[in-house]
Amino acid sequence: MANGYTQRPSASAILQVILLVVALAVPLFGGAYWIHVGAILWYYAILASSWTLLAGFAGQFSFAHLMFAALGGYASALIVLHMGTAYFPLAIFIGLVLAIVVGALIGFMVLRLSGPYLALFTLAISEVFRMILIAEEQVTRGSLGLQVPRFFKGDSDVPYYYLGLALLIGSMLLMGFLLHTRVGLFLRAIREDEGATQASGVNTTHYKILVFVVTSGIAAIAGIYYAHFIGILTPNMMILPEMGIVIAMAVIGGIESLPGAVVGAAIVYLLSELLRDYGELRFVLLGLALVLVQRFARNGLLPLIDRIGRRPAAVSSRLSAPGGTSEKPHGN
Amino acid sequence: MSYFSLLTVNGLVIGLIYALTAAGLTLIFSVLRVVNFGHGAFYMVGGYVSYYAIRSLGLPPVGGVVVAMAALFLFGVLFEILVMRPVYTDEVERKDEYAIIVTFGMTILLSNLAIVVFGPFSKSPPPFMAGTLILGPIILPYDRLIAALVAIALLCATTWFLARTTLGQALDAVSQNRESAAVIGINPRRMYTIAFGLGSALAGGAGALIAPIFALSPSMGDLPVVQAFIIIVIGGMGSVGGSIAGGILLGLAQSWGVGYLPDPNRALAYTQAFGAVLLIVTLLFRPTGLFGRVHLRLE
Repeated sequence: MANGYTQRPSASAILQVILLVVALAVPLFGGAYWIHVGAILWYYAILASSWTLLAGFAGQFSFAHLMFAALGGYASALIVLHMGTAYFPLAIFIGLVLAIVVGALIGFMVLRLSGPYLALFTLAISEVFRMILIAEEQVTRGSLGLQVPRFFKGDSDVPYYYLGLALLIGSMLLMGFLLHTRVGLFLRAIREDEGATQASGVNTTHYKILVFVVTSGIAAIAGIYYAHFIGILTPNMMILPEMGIVIAMAVIGGIESLPGAVVGAAIVYLLSELLRDYGELRFVLLGLALVLVQRFARNGLLPLIDRIGRRPAAVSSRLSAPGGTSEKPHGN
Repeated sequence: MSYFSLLTVNGLVIGLIYALTAAGLTLIFSVLRVVNFGHGAFYMVGGYVSYYAIRSLGLPPVGGVVVAMAALFLFGVLFEILVMRPVYTDEVERKDEYAIIVTFGMTILLSNLAIVVFGPFSKSPPPFMAGTLILGPIILPYDRLIAALVAIALLCATTWFLARTTLGQALDAVSQNRESAAVIGINPRRMYTIAFGLGSALAGGAGALIAPIFALSPSMGDLPVVQAFIIIVIGGMGSVGGSIAGGILLGLAQSWGVGYLPDPNRALAYTQAFGAVLLIVTLLFRPTGLFGRVHLRLE
């Protein structure tokens, strides 16, 4: 399986350990700027990896992922603003529960939808929510943005950096555990052939809703973290180009690999910071990279690293359900 | 009353442009079974091609529309051959995701390239015709009138082409059943290329028509493409007639909504949300859309 969870230490597993050590050490050596960049990177990495679970593993291509981040962020921010900073735990809890409930609801609604229909449905839901955020100014402050109290006192970003990293590692462990159990197998089976999975006695309804619940909850945690770290929320956090960045991170890193998505997020976000002088040209390259990676290296960049030190035959052995490569019946 | 007719006429004009954009999207969907998430960017590129054709080649504004359509046809054909091709082979396991990602990637590429090349500020192409038509209670700038007439002509031509010409019928045959079409000697791959080119050309034409009415900007396609998604779902994915009806209905509903609802800021936001809600409700309860063709129902 090309998902990075192989028994023997692969090249990408070693790379992951190295990256983790580097990530832990950055605040010791890096300046305030890179700590800030890193803290934002964790937000994107959590989103990209949870979207990978939803779209890459379970095959539920959703454009509404950032809506859950916004939902969690706004809910938590509004509660803290109205009740005071003593209520941080309650605010986080409600933001999370709200996202989980809405996630379950959307998971339930899209049970019959797949492919482009699912993408359009989630895009529309997301746009409706964004319009509400813009229109209900007296609650959300609209496009001006909502000022949000930060988690920690002081100007240092170091606590946020480690909080974000801890959240990322925690969510990766949770998702990795889920994929290691038979749930992971069921999710991939649903992606390959839902009908056949159902016929094999798997309650696909449960697992499809479950994956929406888990990924929506994780996205909400990312949003809550982001809200109380950056200190301002605007509806722009969930515009389509932002979703495009998250999708690009996941696809470039490897849409069938959770660590791949994190590496993808790091590559995309750090490059976009390093190349800041090039302005919009960076996003031209991002779009190009998205198309090229998809066209020529469909499993993203991380699995390519795995090829190092492996026999070529091992590379092509990837999970494919019987008939997974045949074209779907069309038009009758 | 005059306010109502003003809103109606304006809604109709915008609705026709919407319909044109959606017709291209639905043509691509019916033949390739792919939603082109890059359609808004193609629309934007059409606007700019027309602008530069008028400015640097000295063409009349309607000539700009023709050049934009020709350029976008070529672009669509090339994109289909270079990037979309793997969708029909066993090379790609997850065709839907592949198509969404490459077309969406194209949007990121093109809209940012437009900022780099054309600049972030809006440009205004010369009007099709100066002046305003005043006909009793109806006040309509000639610009909008001509855009509407050209849109009607293009929509009629598309409908006629699909129903009456051999090539159009071949496209329709592929949209109904690829295998059967292949059996009677139609090469589906050629039809995919042609459909993608024509759909892109319609998007480019719509962008070129709207450019003199509003202004050109790299993000001008962002909103119309969402409207086009709404229209093709409401009208029935794959039905060109449905997208024409859906486009006009949506244009009218938005024009009336913005005109009559109190609090303009909210009205603007919620009339846009209204269409998205329609899309959600349609997908949940009537996935074939209002004018959907049975063979294109949800798979």
